[in-house]
Amino acid sequence: MPDNLSLYIERDSPLQRLNPLTKLAISFSLILIGFLGPGYWLATLLFICVLVPLSIWGKIGPEFLQRTVRLILPLALFLFVMQSLFYPGGRTVLWRFWIFSVKLEGVQFAYLTATRLMNMVGAFLLLLLSTHPSTLMTDLTRRGVSPSLTYILVSTLQIIPQMRNKANTIIDAQRSRGLETQGSVRARIGALLPLVGPLVFGSLVDVEERAIALEARAFKAKRVKTSLIHVPDSVRQRQVRIGLVVLTLVMIGIRLWPL
Amino acid sequence: MSFSERLKADFSTMTLVLIPVAIAINIVIGQIVSLLKLPVYLDSIGTVLVGVLAGPWAGALTGVLSNTIWGLTIDPNALPWFPVALFIGLVAGLCANAGLFKTWWKVVISGLLIAIVAAIVSSFINVALYGGITASGSSFLTAYLMASGRGVIESVLATSFIFEPIDKVATALLAWFIIKGLSKRYVSRFPRAENA
Repeated sequence: MPDNLSLYIERDSPLQRLNPLTKLAISFSLILIGFLGPGYWLATLLFICVLVPLSIWGKIGPEFLQRTVRLILPLALFLFVMQSLFYPGGRTVLWRFWIFSVKLEGVQFAYLTATRLMNMVGAFLLLLLSTHPSTLMTDLTRRGVSPSLTYILVSTLQIIPQMRNKANTIIDAQRSRGLETQGSVRARIGALLPLVGPLVFGSLVDVEERAIALEARAFKAKRVKTSLIHVPDSVRQRQVRIGLVVLTLVMIGIRLWPL
Repeated sequence: MSFSERLKADFSTMTLVLIPVAIAINIVIGQIVSLLKLPVYLDSIGTVLVGVLAGPWAGALTGVLSNTIWGLTIDPNALPWFPVALFIGLVAGLCANAGLFKTWWKVVISGLLIAIVAAIVSSFINVALYGGITASGSSFLTAYLMASGRGVIESVLATSFIFEPIDKVATALLAWFIIKGLSKRYVSRFPRAENA
């Protein structure tokens, strides 16, 4: 099972130092504009002219491109094969072989969908590669997001690696007792309970203890808590964020009321 | 009890501590299942668990955060599917409130109800973002239906209605087995212990 948890890469660059909310605003406006904005080439342009330069500015260019391609390429290939052959309403046949025929409309539709998805995955990756989840959550808590939500997200990120280790131990232990984890579907379904049972019950036992620990530390107290980490922000970034929201709304407006 | 009081009672400290474990259960079991190459996902057992023990809203939150964390740590493609997870937790909680998590055949009905809602919501997202074809194996059936002259929405819905019930009934039953396996004393610490 994969072990890397956060996608964050620690680099010193202007992008990494931006306030997390600014990066969040950039990502979401790019995604929304990519899907809802006008024009066939818009998502492609956003990716090449905005996302790639931003990633180079953040000194994470190679990692950004590599991860985007790795996440999107299998899906894109699948989309092209399936949509070019089976897109309903395709008329212009490009070429045919055996009982299949590749239609132009399907290829165009696959390209549009694939570039929009690439833009979406790229925008999320730009945020995740340049922002540590706990920095993001610290900043959002300061802006009024419930500390309970922050607790849930941050502690989940800590629990998952522990639970993966536990799962690997259980898988090894049950295999050494002769549990069949390959072979027929029935054998594999049979393997599910001996693996899931110990893992789930073992993790649920800790819940009660942790709840008592939190209550003893006045987690539910209403007072405003101070934070150890200071996340910088600037007036300029605030203006950029407002600008992005307006731009996104205008793009959606153009889509809804075409002139 | 008013709605806000009910919400406050649902989000007790026990619930807040259960949710991260439930999310981890979703993700780790989801990965074990894909390791075993079973033809189901089973990636929302924790969500259903929270829905039953802490009510529909806590279940919905668990679903949303599961997808968020899956997206943050493993694959950003999981992020746009969060409404599906939200509705899984919500419907599981509502079913439990209606007493549908008490005996095994009622749990099967809950699983089917969850499947219907999940199928409808996921079909909308699928058609809007992916145009009907996603990276999952069930897309072959969608493509076949599309090629045989049916509309995109119709094909996607038909595929979902075939694959979702198996997954969601298994999910609901597993969550029920887990709750049955917990001690009464432990379950009684949760806000909706009477639902189990």
